[in-house]
Amino acid sequence: LTVGVSRTPLQKNVSLASPTKIELTCKLEENSNLKNPQVTWKRGSETISHTNKTQNSWTIQLTISDSSQLGSYSCILKGEVEVSATFHLQVPHIEGKEKPIITYEGDLAVMVCKTEYVPVAWTWYMTNGTELVAINPSSHTNKFQFKRQSANVNRLEILKLTKEDNGIYWCEAAFRLGSSKRRFELRVLSIMAPLKPFVAVVAEVVILVTTIALYEVYSKRKEK
Amino acid sequence: MQAKDSNPPDGGYGWVVVVSAFVVMGLTVAVLKTFGLFFVEIQQHFDEHASTTSWITSITIAVFHLGAPVASSLCVQYTHRTVVITGGLLAFSGMALGFFGLNMVWMYATTGFLQGLGISFSWTPAISIVSHYFSKKRALANAIASAGECAFAFTFGPFFQWLISQYGWKGALLIIGGIQLNICVCGALMRPLASSCLEASHCKTETTPGSSASWRDKEDKSPIMHKTFNWMLVRRPEFVLYAIFGILAAMSFFVPPLFLVPLSYSLGIDESWTASLLSILAMVDFGGRLLCGWYANLHVTKTIHLLAMTITLISTSLMLLPLANNYLSLAIFTGFYGFFFGTTVAIHITVLADVVGMPEFDSALGLFMLIRSTGGFVGPPLAGLIVDMAGDYRAGFYMAGATLVLSAGFLGILDRLQQRKKRGSKIRTKPEKTTLPYPSLHLLEHQ
Repeated sequence: LTVGVSRTPLQKNVSLASPTKIELTCKLEENSNLKNPQVTWKRGSETISHTNKTQNSWTIQLTISDSSQLGSYSCILKGEVEVSATFHLQVPHIEGKEKPIITYEGDLAVMVCKTEYVPVAWTWYMTNGTELVAINPSSHTNKFQFKRQSANVNRLEILKLTKEDNGIYWCEAAFRLGSSKRRFELRVLSIMAPLKPFVAVVAEVVILVTTIALYEVYSKRKEK
Repeated sequence: MQAKDSNPPDGGYGWVVVVSAFVVMGLTVAVLKTFGLFFVEIQQHFDEHASTTSWITSITIAVFHLGAPVASSLCVQYTHRTVVITGGLLAFSGMALGFFGLNMVWMYATTGFLQGLGISFSWTPAISIVSHYFSKKRALANAIASAGECAFAFTFGPFFQWLISQYGWKGALLIIGGIQLNICVCGALMRPLASSCLEASHCKTETTPGSSASWRDKEDKSPIMHKTFNWMLVRRPEFVLYAIFGILAAMSFFVPPLFLVPLSYSLGIDESWTASLLSILAMVDFGGRLLCGWYANLHVTKTIHLLAMTITLISTSLMLLPLANNYLSLAIFTGFYGFFFGTTVAIHITVLADVVGMPEFDSALGLFMLIRSTGGFVGPPLAGLIVDMAGDYRAGFYMAGATLVLSAGFLGILDRLQQRKKRGSKIRTKPEKTTLPYPSLHLLEHQ
């Protein structure tokens, strides 16, 4: 992975799912102000010695074998000015719906989690007060259904919704290097919620149509 | 004293009709345009592919076009008002039943078919009745009515998003269905013009030719032939030329909105700025429609010439658009395109009325919509093919521009034909003072 160094601080996110060897390279732009800078690679306060240096690029090699080795690694170039670039090594993120999911009583709720890499395991949690309780699919087959759409997409369906199903749910994808979570908010409304504005609009239409019809009959009678 | 179709009020109650048509346009086309917001929700809920979900809109658009001729023939037999009210009820039922969201096929039937039929039965008569109510100010009236689409589309975007965030997609559909029920209110306002031929008994007493008393009524008499759906229009070269123009124009019209967003992304413009491009498009579209209506109302230029000019200007903007390389230039060219698109839409129905004449206008409108739809179906896939071959979205814009230039050519041929016929009729009869070229020829045939 190479990052061209220029004035603004650069960041790059790197998703790692399983233990791997990785090379991080910082490369200096051709027409940069810095000439022969002093380069250090750091992770936090710890300095790492770089394993490879060419004319204008500096590389470190890392072996990531567990989650403690994930984090932010920076290359710092000191010369007349100081520039740096940071690689954030992390577990893959989960993509899912950010906005609250709105459903109705008796209906079906759908939550979908998607990742870049295939996780080792998927787990879904619901919140009971402040605790996370894992959802066991086999014990509530007519309430919760898990559908594995593909290896990296997982889908939770909650059937026969009631007001109690309102709340926060979590989907967790476990990778060898750690796990990542995504939060979903489920709101269960009663049917009355949309019905009120609906009935209001229909009432308005009926009133207007009747008024117009009556007005026309009245003006026709007036003409005669 | 009720207004007659042969002597339209050109104002007065006509403006009420224009306002109600404005609202109908908004509640039909603008809803269709904004339906895309429901896509992802519906797709995820039913666990379907994007292509399967997009069939909903395809069905709506297809039924809309196929229903147009049916709607216009129903207009002639029953009144415009009845058909619009029916349309409103159908559209409402489509959305309201969509609320139950049983499965994808249910959505196809409700938000697809019923909604499409409802929109078709509402839109077609609304457009048509405005032309019936006006003659001298027809261009302005049509332009104002068509602007409704832009005005509503502009507000529906954020409004629908808010509805979905408050009530979920199902609840939002229900409420939108209720809002669409207001189409019936608009329909109630569309008082039919007392054309003496809509009552069959009147017509039969006026079939004796030659009497001076029925000289004026001969104009009203022609509707007898067109009480039912009129395929004879296809025999008229003017209509055929205009229909071909319609196909080519439709082929190009759907392309720029499709490719503007990907082109914008490929230039490195981010989501919110791209969304603002679409807002710019809607705003200048609105302005273009109103301005064109006002200008056409001055009767300085013939409507068909005006249409040819606007088409040329759109194709110029489209040919220039690919030159844009940053947000500002893209926004400017998009603005030009949107503005001239608005002017074209505002005037093209008035030109149809001028081409075929009012007695046959209803059937012509329906048939024109049906024929034009083929262009709308062919255009996007063809453009997609060209873009894939060229590997660049700009090719799509060049194709759209070229198609429009071709369509302008047909307008030119049509204009020549009309001028030749006019010269021919001037030699043979005294010219009658009417705004439509046809009645003088009809009188000729009956001698």
